[in-house]
Amino acid sequence: MDVYEPSSGAQIHDLNPSDYHPTGLFWTIEIPEDGIEVNLGKGHASMEAKRVPIFDYGNIGNALSGGAPRTPGVVSFRVVWSGVNQRVNIRNTDPLYGGFAGNFVRNTAQMEWTAVTDDFTFVSAPLRTSSSNFAEIGEERNGSFFP
Amino acid sequence: MNWELARNAGAQFHDHRHASHAHSRPYVISRRGFAGIAAGAAFSAGVWIPGLAEAKEKDEKEKEKKSSQPVPIRGGSPKLGGSFHVFGPTPGGSFDPIDAEPSTITDFNGFVGLAYISGTVQRTDKRTREVRTLPMISSDMRFMTGVFRGVDSRVHEGTFALV
Repeated sequence: MDVYEPSSGAQIHDLNPSDYHPTGLFWTIEIPEDGIEVNLGKGHASMEAKRVPIFDYGNIGNALSGGAPRTPGVVSFRVVWSGVNQRVNIRNTDPLYGGFAGNFVRNTAQMEWTAVTDDFTFVSAPLRTSSSNFAEIGEERNGSFFP
Repeated sequence: MNWELARNAGAQFHDHRHASHAHSRPYVISRRGFAGIAAGAAFSAGVWIPGLAEAKEKDEKEKEKKSSQPVPIRGGSPKLGGSFHVFGPTPGGSFDPIDAEPSTITDFNGFVGLAYISGTVQRTDKRTREVRTLPMISSDMRFMTGVFRGVDSRVHEGTFALV
Protein backbone atom coordinates (compact mmCIF):
# COMPACT_ATOMS: atom_id res chain seq x y z
CA MET A 1 0.00 0.00 0.00
CA ASP A 2 1.37 3.37 -1.06
CA VAL A 3 0.15 6.36 0.97
CA TYR A 4 1.04 9.98 0.25
CA GLU A 5 1.16 13.39 1.89
CA PRO A 6 -1.44 15.44 -0.01
CA SER A 7 0.32 18.79 0.33
CA SER A 8 3.77 17.77 -0.91
CA GLY A 9 2.89 14.66 -2.90
CA ALA A 10 5.65 12.78 -1.10
CA GLN A 11 5.15 9.14 -0.23
CA ILE A 12 4.96 8.71 3.54
CA HIS A 13 3.92 5.06 3.93
CA ASP A 14 4.98 1.97 1.96
CA LEU A 15 3.44 -1.16 3.44
CA ASN A 16 4.74 -4.44 2.04
CA PRO A 17 5.84 -7.84 3.29
CA SER A 18 9.35 -7.57 1.88
CA ASP A 19 12.04 -8.51 4.40
CA TYR A 20 13.71 -9.70 1.27
CA HIS A 21 12.75 -13.31 0.66
CA PRO A 22 15.49 -15.99 0.80
CA THR A 23 14.69 -17.20 -2.72
CA GLY A 24 14.33 -13.68 -4.06
CA LEU A 25 10.56 -13.58 -4.37
CA PHE A 26 9.53 -9.96 -4.72
CA TRP A 27 7.12 -8.78 -1.99
CA THR A 28 5.25 -12.07 -2.36
CA ILE A 29 3.84 -13.90 0.63
CA GLU A 30 1.76 -17.04 1.04
CA ILE A 31 -1.87 -16.50 1.99
CA PRO A 32 -4.71 -18.96 2.70
CA GLU A 33 -6.11 -20.57 -0.45
CA ASP A 34 -9.69 -19.88 0.59
CA GLY A 35 -9.00 -16.16 0.25
CA ILE A 36 -9.07 -16.38 -3.55
CA GLU A 37 -12.06 -16.73 -5.88
CA VAL A 38 -11.76 -16.65 -9.66
CA ASN A 39 -14.37 -16.82 -12.41
CA LEU A 40 -12.71 -15.87 -15.68
CA GLY A 41 -15.95 -16.37 -17.63
CA LYS A 42 -17.62 -13.60 -15.65
CA GLY A 43 -14.47 -11.51 -15.33
CA HIS A 44 -14.67 -11.79 -11.57
CA ALA A 45 -12.02 -12.49 -8.96
CA SER A 46 -11.45 -11.59 -5.36
CA MET A 47 -8.54 -11.79 -2.97
CA GLU A 48 -8.95 -11.50 0.76
CA ALA A 49 -6.43 -11.95 3.56
CA LYS A 50 -6.28 -10.94 7.17
CA ARG A 51 -3.41 -9.83 9.38
CA VAL A 52 -0.70 -10.34 6.79
CA PRO A 53 2.64 -9.34 8.34
CA ILE A 54 4.16 -6.28 6.70
CA PHE A 55 6.63 -3.50 7.36
CA ASP A 56 6.05 0.18 6.84
CA TYR A 57 9.14 1.36 4.98
CA GLY A 58 7.89 4.92 4.56
CA ASN A 59 8.72 5.14 0.88
CA ILE A 60 9.70 3.04 -2.13
CA GLY A 61 13.37 3.98 -1.84
CA ASN A 62 13.66 2.57 1.63
CA ALA A 63 11.51 -0.44 0.67
CA LEU A 64 13.89 -1.37 -2.15
CA SER A 65 17.20 -0.46 -0.61
CA GLY A 66 16.83 -0.27 3.13
CA GLY A 67 19.00 2.16 5.00
CA ALA A 68 16.27 3.73 7.09
CA PRO A 69 14.15 2.29 9.88
CA ARG A 70 11.00 0.30 9.14
CA THR A 71 8.02 -0.33 11.36
CA PRO A 72 6.38 -3.76 11.70
CA GLY A 73 2.65 -4.21 11.36
CA VAL A 74 -0.16 -6.23 9.83
CA VAL A 75 -2.52 -5.54 6.96
CA SER A 76 -5.90 -6.97 6.03
CA PHE A 77 -7.37 -6.42 2.59
CA ARG A 78 -10.07 -7.34 0.13
CA VAL A 79 -9.54 -6.78 -3.59
CA VAL A 80 -12.31 -7.37 -6.13
CA TRP A 81 -11.80 -7.59 -9.89
CA SER A 82 -14.91 -7.21 -12.05
CA GLY A 83 -16.09 -6.73 -15.59
CA VAL A 84 -14.65 -7.60 -18.97
CA ASN A 85 -13.02 -4.77 -20.92
CA GLN A 86 -10.91 -7.04 -23.09
CA ARG A 87 -10.08 -10.74 -23.42
CA VAL A 88 -6.55 -11.52 -24.57
CA ASN A 89 -4.71 -14.72 -25.31
CA ILE A 90 -1.00 -14.22 -24.70
CA ARG A 91 1.91 -16.38 -25.71
CA ASN A 92 4.92 -14.26 -24.85
CA THR A 93 8.29 -15.67 -25.87
CA ASP A 94 10.23 -12.45 -25.32
CA PRO A 95 13.49 -13.39 -23.55
CA LEU A 96 13.06 -10.64 -20.98
CA TYR A 97 9.35 -10.02 -20.44
CA GLY A 98 7.99 -13.37 -21.55
CA GLY A 99 8.27 -17.10 -21.10
CA PHE A 100 4.60 -17.56 -20.31
CA ALA A 101 1.26 -18.17 -21.96
CA GLY A 102 -2.30 -17.76 -20.86
CA ASN A 103 -5.75 -16.31 -21.19
CA PHE A 104 -6.41 -12.99 -19.53
CA VAL A 105 -9.32 -10.68 -18.88
CA ARG A 106 -8.50 -6.98 -18.57
CA ASN A 107 -11.04 -5.30 -16.33
CA THR A 108 -11.20 -3.07 -13.24
CA ALA A 109 -10.44 -3.61 -9.58
CA GLN A 110 -11.28 -2.06 -6.22
CA MET A 111 -9.91 -2.56 -2.73
CA GLU A 112 -10.60 -1.88 0.92
CA TRP A 113 -8.02 -2.47 3.60
CA THR A 114 -6.96 -1.87 7.16
CA ALA A 115 -3.55 -1.91 8.76
CA VAL A 116 -1.96 -1.52 12.15
CA THR A 117 1.67 -0.60 12.69
CA ASP A 118 3.51 0.38 15.84
CA ASP A 119 2.74 4.04 15.11
CA PHE A 120 -0.53 4.22 13.16
CA THR A 121 -3.80 2.55 12.35
CA PHE A 122 -5.19 2.74 8.81
CA VAL A 123 -8.76 2.25 7.64
CA SER A 124 -9.42 2.75 3.95
CA ALA A 125 -12.57 4.25 2.52
CA PRO A 126 -15.12 1.65 1.39
CA LEU A 127 -14.25 -0.57 -1.54
CA ARG A 128 -16.70 1.18 -3.91
CA THR A 129 -14.78 4.47 -3.56
CA SER A 130 -11.51 3.05 -4.93
CA SER A 131 -10.50 2.67 -8.57
CA SER A 132 -7.84 1.05 -10.74
CA ASN A 133 -5.80 2.37 -13.64
CA PHE A 134 -5.00 -1.17 -14.82
CA ALA A 135 -6.30 -4.57 -13.77
CA GLU A 136 -6.24 -8.06 -15.20
CA ILE A 137 -6.97 -11.61 -14.15
CA GLY A 138 -6.02 -14.72 -16.01
CA GLU A 139 -4.88 -18.30 -16.17
CA GLU A 140 -1.24 -18.74 -17.07
CA ARG A 141 1.66 -21.15 -17.14
CA ASN A 142 5.33 -20.26 -17.13
CA GLY A 143 8.77 -21.73 -16.58
CA SER A 144 8.75 -25.51 -16.79
CA PHE A 145 4.97 -25.43 -17.43
CA PHE A 146 5.41 -23.18 -20.47
CA PRO A 147 5.32 -25.39 -23.58
CA MET B 1 4.25 -0.49 -5.10
CA ASN B 2 3.56 2.56 -7.21
CA TRP B 3 5.36 1.88 -10.49
CA GLU B 4 5.75 5.55 -11.39
CA LEU B 5 7.68 6.14 -8.18
CA ALA B 6 9.56 2.88 -8.63
CA ARG B 7 10.79 4.11 -12.00
CA ASN B 8 12.35 7.12 -10.25
CA ALA B 9 13.81 4.93 -7.54
CA GLY B 10 15.76 3.08 -10.23
CA ALA B 11 18.51 0.54 -10.12
CA GLN B 12 20.83 2.18 -7.64
CA PHE B 13 18.88 0.62 -4.78
CA HIS B 14 19.87 -2.87 -5.79
CA ASP B 15 23.56 -2.41 -5.18
CA HIS B 16 22.94 -0.58 -1.94
CA ARG B 17 20.65 -3.35 -0.68
CA HIS B 18 23.13 -6.11 -1.37
CA ALA B 19 25.98 -4.14 0.12
CA SER B 20 24.15 -3.64 3.39
CA HIS B 21 23.12 -7.31 3.63
CA ALA B 22 26.62 -8.49 2.84
CA HIS B 23 27.93 -6.66 5.86
CA SER B 24 25.25 -7.74 8.30
CA ARG B 25 24.56 -11.42 7.59
CA PRO B 26 27.84 -13.16 8.48
CA TYR B 27 27.56 -11.99 12.07
CA VAL B 28 24.00 -13.14 12.66
CA ILE B 29 22.80 -16.43 14.10
CA SER B 30 19.06 -16.79 14.40
CA ARG B 31 17.27 -18.16 17.41
CA ARG B 32 16.03 -20.99 15.20
CA GLY B 33 19.54 -21.79 14.09
CA PHE B 34 20.78 -21.75 17.65
CA ALA B 35 17.97 -24.08 18.74
CA GLY B 36 18.87 -26.52 15.99
CA ILE B 37 22.52 -26.56 17.01
CA ALA B 38 21.63 -27.01 20.66
CA ALA B 39 19.19 -29.84 19.91
CA GLY B 40 21.76 -31.62 17.76
CA ALA B 41 24.36 -31.40 20.51
CA ALA B 42 21.93 -32.83 23.07
CA PHE B 43 21.00 -35.81 20.87
CA SER B 44 24.60 -36.63 20.04
CA ALA B 45 25.38 -36.67 23.75
CA GLY B 46 22.55 -39.14 24.41
CA VAL B 47 20.56 -36.60 26.37
CA TRP B 48 16.78 -36.32 26.03
CA ILE B 49 15.52 -32.85 26.74
CA PRO B 50 11.87 -32.32 25.70
CA GLY B 51 12.28 -28.61 25.02
CA LEU B 52 15.19 -29.22 22.68
CA ALA B 53 13.37 -32.08 20.94
CA GLU B 54 10.49 -29.73 20.21
CA ALA B 55 12.94 -27.17 18.90
CA LYS B 56 14.43 -29.78 16.56
CA GLU B 57 10.98 -30.79 15.33
CA LYS B 58 10.14 -27.14 14.70
CA ASP B 59 13.42 -26.73 12.86
CA GLU B 60 12.60 -29.72 10.63
CA LYS B 61 9.20 -28.22 9.80
CA GLU B 62 10.86 -24.92 8.92
CA LYS B 63 13.29 -26.74 6.61
CA GLU B 64 10.39 -28.55 4.92
CA LYS B 65 8.52 -25.28 4.47
CA LYS B 66 11.59 -23.63 2.94
CA SER B 67 12.10 -26.51 0.50
CA SER B 68 8.56 -26.05 -0.81
CA GLN B 69 9.04 -22.33 -1.41
CA PRO B 70 8.39 -21.11 -4.96
CA VAL B 71 11.14 -19.91 -7.26
CA PRO B 72 11.06 -16.29 -8.47
CA ILE B 73 10.72 -15.48 -12.16
CA ARG B 74 13.92 -15.00 -14.11
CA GLY B 75 15.10 -11.42 -14.41
CA GLY B 76 12.99 -8.40 -13.67
CA SER B 77 11.97 -4.98 -14.88
CA PRO B 78 14.80 -3.03 -16.52
CA LYS B 79 13.27 0.07 -14.96
CA LEU B 80 14.33 -1.33 -11.58
CA GLY B 81 17.73 -2.45 -12.82
CA GLY B 82 16.68 -5.99 -13.69
CA SER B 83 17.55 -7.55 -10.36
CA PHE B 84 14.15 -7.36 -8.65
CA HIS B 85 12.12 -10.33 -9.84
CA VAL B 86 8.97 -8.46 -10.87
CA PHE B 87 7.53 -6.69 -13.91
CA GLY B 88 5.02 -3.88 -14.02
CA PRO B 89 2.75 -4.43 -17.02
CA THR B 90 1.18 -1.08 -17.89
CA PRO B 91 -1.12 0.16 -20.65
CA GLY B 92 0.97 1.73 -23.37
CA GLY B 93 4.08 0.20 -21.85
CA SER B 94 4.75 3.27 -19.72
CA PHE B 95 6.67 1.02 -17.34
CA ASP B 96 6.90 -2.48 -18.81
CA PRO B 97 4.94 -3.76 -21.85
CA ILE B 98 1.31 -4.53 -21.14
CA ASP B 99 1.95 -8.18 -22.05
CA ALA B 100 4.84 -8.53 -19.58
CA GLU B 101 4.78 -11.39 -17.05
CA PRO B 102 2.37 -10.55 -14.21
CA SER B 103 3.45 -13.44 -11.96
CA THR B 104 6.39 -13.17 -9.58
CA ILE B 105 6.68 -16.98 -9.40
CA THR B 106 8.17 -19.16 -12.12
CA ASP B 107 7.42 -22.82 -12.87
CA PHE B 108 3.85 -21.84 -12.12
CA ASN B 109 0.53 -23.01 -13.56
CA GLY B 110 -2.59 -21.35 -12.21
CA PHE B 111 -4.65 -18.21 -11.83
CA VAL B 112 -3.20 -14.74 -11.47
CA GLY B 113 -4.61 -11.30 -10.77
CA LEU B 114 -2.97 -7.89 -10.93
CA ALA B 115 -4.29 -4.41 -10.18
CA TYR B 116 -2.97 -0.92 -9.54
CA ILE B 117 -5.49 0.62 -7.17
CA SER B 118 -6.05 4.14 -5.85
CA GLY B 119 -8.31 5.46 -3.11
CA THR B 120 -8.16 7.13 0.26
CA VAL B 121 -7.33 5.93 3.75
CA GLN B 122 -7.98 7.34 7.20
CA ARG B 123 -4.85 7.26 9.31
CA THR B 124 -4.85 7.59 13.10
CA ASP B 125 -1.68 8.42 14.99
CA LYS B 126 -1.66 6.02 17.94
CA ARG B 127 0.26 8.46 20.12
CA THR B 128 -1.43 11.81 19.39
CA ARG B 129 -4.80 10.42 18.17
CA GLU B 130 -4.55 12.77 15.18
CA VAL B 131 -6.75 11.53 12.33
CA ARG B 132 -5.99 12.38 8.72
CA THR B 133 -7.43 11.31 5.38
CA LEU B 134 -4.63 10.52 2.93
CA PRO B 135 -4.48 9.40 -0.70
CA MET B 136 -3.36 5.91 -1.68
CA ILE B 137 -2.09 5.92 -5.26
CA SER B 138 -1.58 2.99 -7.63
CA SER B 139 -0.93 0.32 -5.04
CA ASP B 140 0.15 -2.87 -6.80
CA MET B 141 -1.89 -5.86 -5.59
CA ARG B 142 -1.55 -9.35 -7.12
CA PHE B 143 -2.44 -12.97 -6.46
CA MET B 144 -1.13 -16.27 -7.77
CA THR B 145 -2.90 -19.51 -6.96
CA GLY B 146 -2.22 -22.91 -8.47
CA VAL B 147 0.64 -25.37 -8.71
CA PHE B 148 4.32 -24.51 -8.79
CA ARG B 149 7.65 -26.29 -8.80
CA GLY B 150 9.41 -25.33 -5.59
CA VAL B 151 13.07 -24.87 -4.79
CA ASP B 152 13.07 -28.61 -4.04
CA SER B 153 12.06 -29.27 -7.72
CA ARG B 154 8.84 -30.90 -6.57
CA VAL B 155 5.37 -29.69 -7.54
CA HIS B 156 3.30 -28.06 -4.79
CA GLU B 157 0.00 -26.25 -4.50
CA GLY B 158 0.00 -22.75 -3.13
CA THR B 159 -1.63 -19.35 -2.99
CA PHE B 160 0.38 -16.14 -2.83
CA ALA B 161 -0.19 -12.41 -2.74
CA LEU B 162 2.02 -9.56 -3.79
CA VAL B 163 1.22 -6.67 -1.48
